[in-house]
Amino acid sequence: MNDANSQSMGGIAPSAEDGRNVRIDPITLSIVWSKLLSIVEEMGGTLRRTAYSPAVREGDDFSTGLFDRKGRLIAQGQFSPAHIGAMPNVIRNISKYITIESLVPGDVVLFNDSTLGSGHYPDFFLIMPVFIDGQLVGYSGATAHHIDTGGATPGSQEIAGVSEAYQEGLRLLPVLLFRAGELDEDILRVILGNVRVPDLVQGDLFAQRNSAHVGMTRLLAIFDEYGEELVENTFDEILIASESRMREYIRALPDGSWEFEDFLDDSGPGSDPVRFHVRVTVDDGDIELDFSGGNDQVSSGINSYYNFTRAWGNFTAMALAKAIMPQNEGTIRPIKITAREGSFFNAVHPAPSGGRATNQVRLFEVVNGALAQALPHRAMGAFTHWSNPNIGGFDDRKGKPFVQYDLLFGGYGGQHDKDGEEGMAPLMNCTNIPVEVYEHAGPLLVQRLELQADSGGAGKFRGGLGLRKDIILRCKEALATLLTDRRKFAPFGVFGGKSGEKTRIVLTRNGEQIDLETKETRTLQLDDVLSLRLSGAGGYGNPAERDAWRIEDDIADGYITEEGARRDYGVEIQDGKVVAPQG
Amino acid sequence: MIRLAFDIGGTFTDIVLHDSDSGALHVAKTLTTPSDLAQAVLHGLDDVLTQTGTEADEVGALLHATTVATNAILERRGAKTALLTTEGFRDVLIIARQKRYETYNLYFHKPEPLTRRRHIYEVTERIDADGDVVTPIDLQSLDSAIDRVMAEGIESAAIVFLHSYANADHERVAVRHLAERAPSLAVSASCDVSPRIREYERTSTTLANAFVKPIVARYLDTLQDALAQKGFSAPLHVMQSNGGLVTPEIARDYPVRIVESGPAAGVLLARHVGQLESTDHVLTFDMGGTTAKLGVVDDGEPAITSTFEVDTVDSRRYSGLPLSTPAIELLEIGSGGGSIASTDGHTIQVGPKSAGADPGPICYGSGGDLPTVTDANLLLGYLDPDYFNGGAMTLDIEAATAGLQRHIADPLGLSLEEAAWGIHAVANTDMERAMRVMSVEKGRDPRKYTLVAFGGAGPIHAARIARSLAIPRVIVPAAAGVGSAVGLLTAEARIDVTITRTMVLDDSAADGVAAAYTELEALVAKDAPRLGTEEPILSRYAYLRQAGQGFEINVNLPDGRIDGGYVDQVVEAFHTAYERDYGYRDEASGVEAVDWCLAATFPSATTGKLETKAVTQQASSRIEGTRDIYLPESGARAPCQILDRAILAANGPLTGPAIIEDPESTILALPGDRLSMSERGDVIIDINVEGSA
Repeated sequence: MNDANSQSMGGIAPSAEDGRNVRIDPITLSIVWSKLLSIVEEMGGTLRRTAYSPAVREGDDFSTGLFDRKGRLIAQGQFSPAHIGAMPNVIRNISKYITIESLVPGDVVLFNDSTLGSGHYPDFFLIMPVFIDGQLVGYSGATAHHIDTGGATPGSQEIAGVSEAYQEGLRLLPVLLFRAGELDEDILRVILGNVRVPDLVQGDLFAQRNSAHVGMTRLLAIFDEYGEELVENTFDEILIASESRMREYIRALPDGSWEFEDFLDDSGPGSDPVRFHVRVTVDDGDIELDFSGGNDQVSSGINSYYNFTRAWGNFTAMALAKAIMPQNEGTIRPIKITAREGSFFNAVHPAPSGGRATNQVRLFEVVNGALAQALPHRAMGAFTHWSNPNIGGFDDRKGKPFVQYDLLFGGYGGQHDKDGEEGMAPLMNCTNIPVEVYEHAGPLLVQRLELQADSGGAGKFRGGLGLRKDIILRCKEALATLLTDRRKFAPFGVFGGKSGEKTRIVLTRNGEQIDLETKETRTLQLDDVLSLRLSGAGGYGNPAERDAWRIEDDIADGYITEEGARRDYGVEIQDGKVVAPQG
Repeated sequence: MIRLAFDIGGTFTDIVLHDSDSGALHVAKTLTTPSDLAQAVLHGLDDVLTQTGTEADEVGALLHATTVATNAILERRGAKTALLTTEGFRDVLIIARQKRYETYNLYFHKPEPLTRRRHIYEVTERIDADGDVVTPIDLQSLDSAIDRVMAEGIESAAIVFLHSYANADHERVAVRHLAERAPSLAVSASCDVSPRIREYERTSTTLANAFVKPIVARYLDTLQDALAQKGFSAPLHVMQSNGGLVTPEIARDYPVRIVESGPAAGVLLARHVGQLESTDHVLTFDMGGTTAKLGVVDDGEPAITSTFEVDTVDSRRYSGLPLSTPAIELLEIGSGGGSIASTDGHTIQVGPKSAGADPGPICYGSGGDLPTVTDANLLLGYLDPDYFNGGAMTLDIEAATAGLQRHIADPLGLSLEEAAWGIHAVANTDMERAMRVMSVEKGRDPRKYTLVAFGGAGPIHAARIARSLAIPRVIVPAAAGVGSAVGLLTAEARIDVTITRTMVLDDSAADGVAAAYTELEALVAKDAPRLGTEEPILSRYAYLRQAGQGFEINVNLPDGRIDGGYVDQVVEAFHTAYERDYGYRDEASGVEAVDWCLAATFPSATTGKLETKAVTQQASSRIEGTRDIYLPESGARAPCQILDRAILAANGPLTGPAIIEDPESTILALPGDRLSMSERGDVIIDINVEGSA
């Protein structure tokens, strides 16, 4: 226990103080906290390296966490915000189905229910209770987006044509996957019997268990090194310090209340736009995001369960407050996320939700829009949105089936001091898939992958450009499921910045061009060219205030054309130089 | 034979002269001259020759590690560079991999690319993933791209076409045309520089090569001319990131390979020390002024990585520019002697901001006013204010006291000593965390490794970090302050060649593997005559993965004829390596190969051997004494013995706590540690063997 190696400071006397059992000295707090963060990172590394799911590998679509005996989230890996945001309530949610007192060492709880987890079935939550001498001292957990959980289409994220969650695959309320260290083969068989790729799902479940096991082992080592009482008091201190830091960040925002609205194109071909509305209220260290004024829940697989809304609400509040800090139950205490039951943002089971990921960008953007007046130095033009097309079928050239998962990201909106960054993942934080890797995997040839000139919203600081990707099919037939947005409602600018160009999806077949909708599913034929042209991001500030040298640079670099400069900035251009400013 | 090794670092240029007849090692340091790097080298060489009474023509080998390529990238001071690429893919470089290096930070800046979009020119051509030509190269479009390159006053050009690792024909055509039409232009083609799958990484690497090519060529020209003028007749060798030396001619062609020149040489020193002290499993710990660099030696060989990033933000992945060239694996974190400590009112943070050498820690008295790790170490008594840098500097203890009080102790309600200890301990925890990443998280059991600590600040922290990871032994080598320069003396000439040939390793793979190695051997044969006359020693390795998983691991492959049985051996080597890294075998899913690699080493008389007997240094040695230091084990300040290496050698093993003062670094052993001096003059600390309180 508390020996010399622990690097704790022996000389500081504990003192009782508000809500704490004892005050932990800053050095022990710094070191134990750092060790906890190192554990959740190591858990994430274990999961990422051994996972099969591309969402885990390439997209960091997972998270890891450590909880105290009361189920409070103490430390969390900085991976997918959607999972991070769902974690704080995990133990509480499990306790609705499993008596915590009945758990024994070696038990492992598993569930993927949308209302308990992160809002769609592919995300499995795996939680391992941690014991010392038969006493529960905490939990170690890992979540991961699995490649498939059954249901109507491969990947279990179909939007169109799904009207109930029962069509989205296997729903697992909390069960014990391991009992006292023994795998429950029956439960596993139920899971694997309901998914399209049982080997991969099993591999990823075990990768999650390995990750939780790493967390448990290292958490026990900390208890052993510092002693139970000191560690538990440090947990209290971590939450108190986090909450107080978060409140400081929020106090730096002006008090007040603001609202904003924006829309998704639709919730599937032929359906109405989906209204996003938020009222943001900042009040002396507390912030509330209330989404109650938005759309009712819809009958396609795109609804945002409350956990998902809250996850991205938390992310948004932290990002706009520039609260770059480790997350735990303390950091989110000052953030309140509200959504009316039965609304699109707090859907009621069995509302389908497989494709809810597309909502994250708009959730952020309405809050950004609402806070723009209050936070001119943080607000930004709207993103170019993103696209997640999947193309699958049978490759007759190679005699095997293929599924091509893809991610397209364009630019950021303009900010108060700079143009939007080009070609970046908007909120979810993923890498793209290299063209050379993409073409290895199936009968698709990319004809172009480039930024579209003049697509970014004009402004004092220009919005990033929309990305264009043209794909030609080299086999007889394939099915393309499109998932994007911003075809009807352009990404908005702020403070006089212009909107970006809208999204277009153009299918060229035998020389004929067909405009497609953003959430449709289409059969492609040999030599069809599918051209995905993402919208451009919104600008920041009045275009008339843009520096001439920036316009000239943009022309030289081909981000805008001379014609675009005349149209959007009202300037005359000669030999690449601005000769007559607007006026 | 007399050999001279010189390593240019950010602050100092280190020079080591080694005489293999006497075994004597002479060490010197001189301030780096950033505006003209060769100047410091020549100045330092002069000094060393004078001090040792050596004539320039007596020197048999000149070995060099340099930051010239790195600095050109960091400061964007390279050539005006164009990129020629496949039509439709102009933006591969601009788009990059699209991931934020901090998930919660939406106000980041992407790294500035090494060329602007206006200098990226498209050529009509297309090759597919199988290497088949989809669109033949259109010479008219190539010519018009070359016209623009010439009109724009471009100095250097990179050529990167899609899938050129699978079929380099189009890139070769472009190289030929550029050579004909613009003979003075420096040209780098991706099929030569980095023929590996993943277009962004290949583009970034090839462009970096092109960007630094002219500046590195000019630098080497200047250096070689100056050396010749001084009367040196020995051949010059330059260290690459992979830990191998090459001739200046090869370095001129592939300057991107020398980016991690100095740090790689540091790991070689650690390997060498391990060999002499009978261990081939070494964790290396090089803590300097701004960062700490960690490396690994497994089975006597430094761990090699296939890709690393340069110009990162706090070493975060995706924050810098990726370079796909083989490099000794290093994890660099923002914990150095100059790292600044701060508090948010609850906890203490150390780094990643650093006071560097200028203004430096408060105690340097040159304008720094924020407390650093060095200031904390001074207040804890670990450093002697009168004997810093061999007595060349005096440290201002009062100023450091005031700074720590104001910025850390007062805001947190700590005593001065607690604040100082807190900074030291937090820095240790950060380094422990990084060390875990290099060891435990990659399947290496720290209990089987020895920690070799060097750099100005490393030996103060090493014993405590070793404890926290249960590393049983720390070695602080002689001349620890000039580790990379000494490491150069142990290096051999070596080149690594790599090629992407993706395939599933099944019964039909043997021909493909054999073909890949035939190509790789041809690549080696091309450069071998420029490296030496003797036959190289070839060793094979590959980047393989579980079919369906996304991460390749580096697997060393056996020698021998490549047939069906060989493929089985490759698969088995993969499973063994995978099990080492991840703790389990998964033989059910197949194994997939991505990159095949061949290392060629050229043993020679001028490189690779180092036997030392005596080390002499510029500064004088230190006297014996005691000083009060703070250790949490004792709970208060207590006297600690201070000695130098000579006294340790004479007095035999002793028990910590103890401080050993070298001119360029200070070694701290803790209570319970046993200190001894090895025959070759390395300080050995056996951790916690005497049983601490």
